[in-house]
Amino acid sequence: MKHFPSRRTVLGAASAITLLALTACGNVAGGASNSAEYPSGPINLTVGQAAGGSTDLIARALAEGASKTLGQPMPVVNKPGANGALATKEVAGKPADGQELVLLTASLITITPLAVTPDEAVNIDDLDIIAGLSQDDYVLVASPESGFKSFKDVTDAGRNVTFGTTGVGTGSQLAQTVLFKQANVTGTDIPFDSGKPALTAVMGNQVELATIQLGEAMPQIEAGKVSPLLVFSEDRNSFLPDTPSAKEAGYDVPVAQYRAVAAPKGTPQEVKDKLLEAFQETFKSDAYKEFNEKNMLTPKELSGEEVVEEWKGYAAKYKELVEKYDISLSGNK
Amino acid sequence: MDFLNPVINGFAVVLEPTNLLYCLVGVVIGMLIGVLPGLGPAATIAILLPLTYGVEPVTAIIMLAGIFYGAQYGGTITSVLLRLPGEASSVVTVFDGYQLAKQGKAGTALGLAAIGSFVGGTAAIIGLTFLAPLVAGFALDFGPPEYTALALLGILLVATISSGAKAKALIAAALGLLLATVGRDIFTGESRFTFGSLQLADGIDFVPIAMGIFGLGEILYNLEERHRAAKAPSKVANVWPSRGDLKQASGAVGRGSVLGFFLGILPGGGATIASMASYAMEKKRAKQPERFGKGAPEGVAGPETANNAAATSSFIPLLTLGIPANATMALMFGALLIQGVTPGPGLVEEDPELFWGVVNSMYIGNILLLIMSLPLVGIFVRILRVRAAILAPITALITLLGAYTINNSMFDVTLVVVFGVVGYLMKKFGYEPGPLVLAFVLGELLESSMRRSLLTFGGDPFGFFGRPISATLLVVFVLVAVLPFIRSAIAKRRTVSTPTAARPDIKEKV
Repeated sequence: MKHFPSRRTVLGAASAITLLALTACGNVAGGASNSAEYPSGPINLTVGQAAGGSTDLIARALAEGASKTLGQPMPVVNKPGANGALATKEVAGKPADGQELVLLTASLITITPLAVTPDEAVNIDDLDIIAGLSQDDYVLVASPESGFKSFKDVTDAGRNVTFGTTGVGTGSQLAQTVLFKQANVTGTDIPFDSGKPALTAVMGNQVELATIQLGEAMPQIEAGKVSPLLVFSEDRNSFLPDTPSAKEAGYDVPVAQYRAVAAPKGTPQEVKDKLLEAFQETFKSDAYKEFNEKNMLTPKELSGEEVVEEWKGYAAKYKELVEKYDISLSGNK
Repeated sequence: MDFLNPVINGFAVVLEPTNLLYCLVGVVIGMLIGVLPGLGPAATIAILLPLTYGVEPVTAIIMLAGIFYGAQYGGTITSVLLRLPGEASSVVTVFDGYQLAKQGKAGTALGLAAIGSFVGGTAAIIGLTFLAPLVAGFALDFGPPEYTALALLGILLVATISSGAKAKALIAAALGLLLATVGRDIFTGESRFTFGSLQLADGIDFVPIAMGIFGLGEILYNLEERHRAAKAPSKVANVWPSRGDLKQASGAVGRGSVLGFFLGILPGGGATIASMASYAMEKKRAKQPERFGKGAPEGVAGPETANNAAATSSFIPLLTLGIPANATMALMFGALLIQGVTPGPGLVEEDPELFWGVVNSMYIGNILLLIMSLPLVGIFVRILRVRAAILAPITALITLLGAYTINNSMFDVTLVVVFGVVGYLMKKFGYEPGPLVLAFVLGELLESSMRRSLLTFGGDPFGFFGRPISATLLVVFVLVAVLPFIRSAIAKRRTVSTPTAARPDIKEKV
């Protein structure tokens, strides 16, 4: 033990660690394109949200299934920033060989452009959509002390209500502002960073209402700590069968979060087919179905063309609604 | 004693072999880097943060807590053996520790420090165990107004308590607040200081700032310092202190535990101030104060107990309120966020396993430290013989690699380099980096909570006083802000004995 870490051992150990780290990185970056034999290496699935969020979890569940069918690893790479715009724009600029995919959220295409400048917005035409994945519903919840048990209580209250949103330019904000305009309810919009703090604020009665993604709100709904008033999907949600949809209550606000997988524009058809096939295989697996169930996600496994059509439809619809009711998603009036 | 159930479950988490292993690895690596002069706990955590990305949150945080303790103790080793304080909180340990080493009692000094650290740390953890559920009971009462008041109080305390020049601390804090405003305004979506770059749309991430300022900045600064060639350390023998020494030190250990615990909870407080306060207190209490500086065992035991107690108790505001009390805790905060864990009043309830796992790992960490530290002392000291020209690039490389891996972003690496230079310059010109980093963290919280509160109050600023917790906190804020003025006014009155001069419009200055 006398001559324990000599300079050489320390140096050796350190360079070994460095080397190890470098090779690990090299692995991710590698993969030359050769469309004859697709996939030619690991397929990166980029996620524009932080690890651990619902978008990230979906990406991981999908990648696990698809990598088995494709016979190549599909690492999930998180590049959070600007609501996902950063990651999406980056992938859109990569070579269109199917080795680089991105998990796309509909709000980035349909809602965010209403709140940011045109050059910060993402255009769906810059991407090839491979497949639609699922629908994540928003639910309007009320705090226990607000006394609201149904949306009618809110409209009958005839006073200013405070409502939390999960941020500027999100479906949560759009859904509530449009709904309140339609129902002639005056409300103060209080943006939070994400769903969790907004939910906590409702539970602590700092705001009376908030619109949150179902998966996030469900544990507190079941515990009776918040009351669900409405879901914003066109039909009732199967996980919350007793809560009416906004449409049933007579309002026209079909807002939900949809997700899809996309590749850079110009990806060869046979590559897209191969990817689609792998994803469809995954959709059928029990593990993936269970995952959807557990996270309160309603499968919406559409083709690429259907996704583009639907999302463009929503984008136009939201634009029209916002203009009709003279709503500005940025800034409180 | 129902609330003790989760505590016990927490032990089960800690005792899983993986977690134990990571705790051990954390303690050892922490000590290893903590031995290097200038690299204190904050820098050590900044550099080693990447090690924790790949593992489970609980494990990661257990490891970080281990690193934290290790680094803390690493600084003590060099203080005693080489008269090189590894970090600020063991500066006072040099006075008596090195003298003891010169008298051939290096082992006694290190032993006392280890025992003191253990006792202080353990006492603080017990405090944490009982205090945390109490605070957590108010979890849902903590809304935006309460956070506004807390953040205000935190920033004020950081600015007033921090060691070093007040003006410079304020400048650094102002810079931190400014940096916190970068990014898309979360209330309007307006871009602020992003210069059209999407990379900056979400603001600057905390971790690159911390890695730059604490990690790279310190490394650069240390390169400039010419290290005194590390002499072969004195022989370390008789690690277990004699009964006489123990008896002499036991009072100091007890007092250090209590003092450290309370100083650690205060925002802006922490290990450094606790160690200094304890040294001063021991010297004042001693029957023969002239022994201090010549190898008094209390002079080692007191400060070392206090700094560890404070280091542990500063976890209380972090874990229960989500408010970091000092720069090291700000780093822990960042590390938790990377793991997807938001510290705050809800943590105990939402994730008891994680919370108690972390708390209980501190007991284990302390025990491991006690067992590991002494036999390994000689080995660690030898690291100092490795030339800085070799060590510095390696640590810098690890830091940069780590920065890349958080978001897979080269932009973050650039940020680390930029903030590395900023940190180096700050250090060189005598600006404490702590206030900058804390103001950065609290600035974000302050702005968003205040705007949110005002929205709920309908723009009425008096709404803050309509809620019991925020009102109390604001009263404390006013007291802390006004106290120095009153005190100096009284002092002036006493010395000058002309009461007319001492009636400033104190209230206005708040």
